Amino acid sequence: MIIAEDVGVQFFFNRYLRVVTPGQARLRGTGVTTWGLRDLTFSIERGVGTALIGPSGSGKTTLLRVLAGVYSPDRGRIEIRGRVASLLSIDAGLLSLLTGRENALLLGVLGGLSRRSAARALGTVKERSALGEAFERPVLTYSQGMKARLGLAVAEEANPDILVLDEVHEALDHEFRQFLQERAHALIEAGGIVVAAGHDHPMLASLCSRALWLENGSVREHGPFDQTQPRYLDSVGST
Amino acid sequence: MMQANREAGSPGTATPWVGGESTVPLLIRSLGSSIDVLRALTESDIRFRYGRGPFRFARWLLDPVALVGVYLFLVSFVLDLEATTPGLSLACAIIPFQLVMLTIANAMTALELRRPILLNMSFRRMLLPISAALTEAVAFSSSLLLVVVMMAIYGVAPTWSILWFPLVLVINILLAIATAYAAVLFGIWLRELRSFVTSFVRALFFLAPGLVPLAETSEDVQTLLRLNPLTGLFEAYRDVFMDGTRPALWELAFPLAAALALLVIFLPLYRSEQRQFAKVI
Repeated sequence: MIIAEDVGVQFFFNRYLRVVTPGQARLRGTGVTTWGLRDLTFSIERGVGTALIGPSGSGKTTLLRVLAGVYSPDRGRIEIRGRVASLLSIDAGLLSLLTGRENALLLGVLGGLSRRSAARALGTVKERSALGEAFERPVLTYSQGMKARLGLAVAEEANPDILVLDEVHEALDHEFRQFLQERAHALIEAGGIVVAAGHDHPMLASLCSRALWLENGSVREHGPFDQTQPRYLDSVGST
Repeated sequence: MMQANREAGSPGTATPWVGGESTVPLLIRSLGSSIDVLRALTESDIRFRYGRGPFRFARWLLDPVALVGVYLFLVSFVLDLEATTPGLSLACAIIPFQLVMLTIANAMTALELRRPILLNMSFRRMLLPISAALTEAVAFSSSLLLVVVMMAIYGVAPTWSILWFPLVLVINILLAIATAYAAVLFGIWLRELRSFVTSFVRALFFLAPGLVPLAETSEDVQTLLRLNPLTGLFEAYRDVFMDGTRPALWELAFPLAAALALLVIFLPLYRSEQRQFAKVI
């Protein structure tokens, strides 16, 4: 389950418009501050897929990063019950100079597996990612789709309760889209949660029954996908 | 990828769910998990920065050899200083200095190197500076061979004082770790001044008895030189490997005190700022 109460995420810019930390802002003088998310309150029950929709800059990626623990809320409170797996970029957290195997081990351990478990899982990750020989090559030789497949395979290994996706599914080929849909449905049926953002709404509809419509970092509407998404499209003049 | 270990903090809070488990097993698991994370971060850092295969060992050895060679030429021919074992004396300064210097350089870029991970998942970011120090400690362990070679060249036999080396090494690594916490923060706070930080740390080598032992410097400046934490470290290495004596208390106490002071100042700052790392890289 995910519960967010008045969540706010703030960004500080110095006078040269570079994003700085609050400590840095104190040290060098603050230029501007802006809220990426503001007063965000919502909850997501177990067994529900939720799509984040909204125009670019509405806070979808920021919210996904909060859910993944990449950002901490600067205000408010978020409670996340369960292990989170996140794919928040096409790079999927992979380091380009390391091989698929080395990345899988590193990300497995950073994600909470013991070293032994992560090492034991490497065969499964290789098989699931369908990378074949490429698994032993540096990731910089991979296509975007191959990176996404490896990222997804590693994420799967952690047996997550919550899967967080940011447009990554849009880089996958048809075979892996199918795989992702199957995994997402299995996770939801088992009482897990999927939160996905992107502009491929048919794909989002296949993963999520509910939609959280964000606008200027706040919740505009939270409801069934088939009701909220048409209203969002109407608001932007799209059909 | 997955995330399991969040580092929440005020003012906002992120609360992960942790099942009902008693404190002691939880602490043991947490320690084991930290060791695994530290090992994974360090191994990947070594591969990323130094590549694979035997050539990285050659580099770890040749870097200090080149430095000792240059300074040996400077000390013996340009400055024409008289010393009995100049190569060994230089190695006893350069090798511990390299551990601190390379750790600082590593730590200043530690966030950028791991940008894809930092932007994708939560993990124990508090361990990043320790990992920077451990990466360079691996390089350091290879370059220690140079001390052995220098001892053989000058015919300096090891004595029981070598038993003090583990303690000296712990203080050396602790100083490297403490500077790494500061360096990560400087790396993001003052990224335009990174090269200045590197030059400043290099200057500290010359503001310590790096080229010649402390005893061979002017008595007027010895008190001042002792305030530099590197002085105690260099002298402790010389005591253990060159002179065969026990390091003086101040030689261990000064760098230790400097490390603790840095940790007292920068650890809380790092803990607070690490929540914001993903926003600024």
